[in-house]
Amino acid sequence: MSAEPAFKPRLAAIPDPGEPKIVAEGINKTFINRENGEEVVAIENLDLTIRDQEFVAIIGPSGCGKSTFLYMLAGFEDISAGTLSMDGHPVTGPGPDRGIVFQEFILFPWRTVLRNITLGLEMQKVPRAEAEAAARKWIGLTGLTGFEDAYPATLSGGMKQRVAIARALAYNPEVVLLDEPFGALDVQTKFYMIRDLQTLWQEAHKTIVMVTHSVSEAVIMADRVVVFSARPARIIYDERIDIARPRDALDPKVIDRQREVTEVLSAEVDKQMRREAGRNPLGN
Amino acid sequence: MTDIASSPACTASRRAFLTRRNREKWMAWLRPVISISVPLLIWELASRLGWINSFLFPPPSQILTALWVQAGPQGRPPYAIFYHVFASMMRIVIGVGLALVVGTVVGMLIALTAWGRAIFRPIISAIMPVPTLAWTPVLLLVFGIDNRTTITVVLIATSFEIIYNVVAGLDMLSKRVFWVARSMGASHTQTFFKVIVPGVLPYLITGLRIGIGFAWRALIAAEMLAASSYGLGFMIFDAAEYFNIDIIFGGIMLIAILGLLLENVVLGRLEAATIKRWGVQVER
Ligand SMILES: Nc1ncnc2c1ncn2[C@@H]1O[C@H](COP(=O)(O)OP(=O)(O)O)[C@@H](O)[C@H]1O
Ligand SMILES: [Mg+2]
Repeated sequence: MSAEPAFKPRLAAIPDPGEPKIVAEGINKTFINRENGEEVVAIENLDLTIRDQEFVAIIGPSGCGKSTFLYMLAGFEDISAGTLSMDGHPVTGPGPDRGIVFQEFILFPWRTVLRNITLGLEMQKVPRAEAEAAARKWIGLTGLTGFEDAYPATLSGGMKQRVAIARALAYNPEVVLLDEPFGALDVQTKFYMIRDLQTLWQEAHKTIVMVTHSVSEAVIMADRVVVFSARPARIIYDERIDIARPRDALDPKVIDRQREVTEVLSAEVDKQMRREAGRNPLGN
Repeated sequence: MTDIASSPACTASRRAFLTRRNREKWMAWLRPVISISVPLLIWELASRLGWINSFLFPPPSQILTALWVQAGPQGRPPYAIFYHVFASMMRIVIGVGLALVVGTVVGMLIALTAWGRAIFRPIISAIMPVPTLAWTPVLLLVFGIDNRTTITVVLIATSFEIIYNVVAGLDMLSKRVFWVARSMGASHTQTFFKVIVPGVLPYLITGLRIGIGFAWRALIAAEMLAASSYGLGFMIFDAAEYFNIDIIFGGIMLIAILGLLLENVVLGRLEAATIKRWGVQVER
């Protein structure tokens, strides 16, 4: 946890899955709706094993429980039933072994780019010079060089998200959790971010779990794509993407996979819409 | 980029640009000076030429002379103006300082604890609509004609704005800000000093700006009722007893100038170093 791994770029081929890192067994999550007291079952009996240094993309209809699942991994939300463990120890709360990136960036506006990125190390009482050196490395890798002393308010959305990503990586967590990291960005910015950061994920040597609603993001970036059903979330698709990196959006193999995932997903969305229309006789 | 900027053609246009900027800067200063001095000049003329009653509206030159005399050894008492200004300022500084402590603590209790909310919310909602000055008779009975009365008026006038803004600021800090801090491994103390305090600071400063405005007005009024010997409010009230109309107007001018300095210069500096620098929007 202390020493930064050496920067050996991963082989272009997809590495063999490592040891199980995160194991979810029979996970349930029930929310009580504050207004009407009704129970909302967000996740039901979900099993998922994520292996060390695997990049897993989770995709599913909106409102199905993807963020909830990610927040349980992060330790922000309790699980209602089942077991969730990391390296064999139950997850009981948030910790610096898991970094988080939100769609809405959640930067600290009173801190410069550099100081946002060093904050995690400051919290762990790492000496300032050492923290800055670590931060500068990630500033370079996320393409933020030259913006070290800028305040977040002066940055574009894409740059803000780079800061959030660098910030999550800088304190060297073993797992990085991304909740729709490109969801707030325009198409152009998203395209460049995904392209620019391809090598970052490989060089980071982390276990990465990314929630997204974009099939192409999932297929281009991840080692493995998992599709959640409509609420309550179950796994309806779970495949490895064995396509060498860097991946090209126009590669026929990529397009094939995208079509495959899209079919599973749209069938699920259709089913959900029919179910909702059935519940509401007016169908609106 | 540098060689373009230093080419001769560019230097000329840059100089033109700089002088234009300079002129704008001068105009920014000049405009308020003109808009204040023209009415004063008209007043001076009107009073001297007998268009208006020069006893009730002595010319500004006479008002300034009276202030000058009162600020010197011939004043009654000698250097009276300085004593009055110092007395009012001392009450503002102490009262606002106390309000800062009380307001921040109560605001944090309301925003962060259920019991704080339960206890203070109803009390504050009930007291807030009462004009600060309405407390003066009560305070006079409790403290008598004493600095404690006027300082308490300042404290009351400032506290509510600070409480209101601290609560608003804490409510604005999203749950996710705390999540990010916790996943960096922040302790409670670190969360308080590195997240809560800087996150609330812009709101605190906004509350302070508005609160000081209220406090200044309330203080001057309270000094008319409850100051024994010094303070700008007392000075005006006392001058009215002796028909020293020039001192009344002089006091009003001083109140305006000092209020402007407090609200805009002192707090303006504070805002420039925080809110403006960080680009934080404080909604009110
Ligand atoms: N704190 C909460 N209280 C009540 N219901 C919640 C809460 N958080 C999420 N939910 C509900 O759980 C379901 C899953 O939400 P979420 O995980 O955010 O979905 P998504 O897959 O779009 O990320 C939604 O129906 C949502 O309304
Ligand atoms: Mg979500």
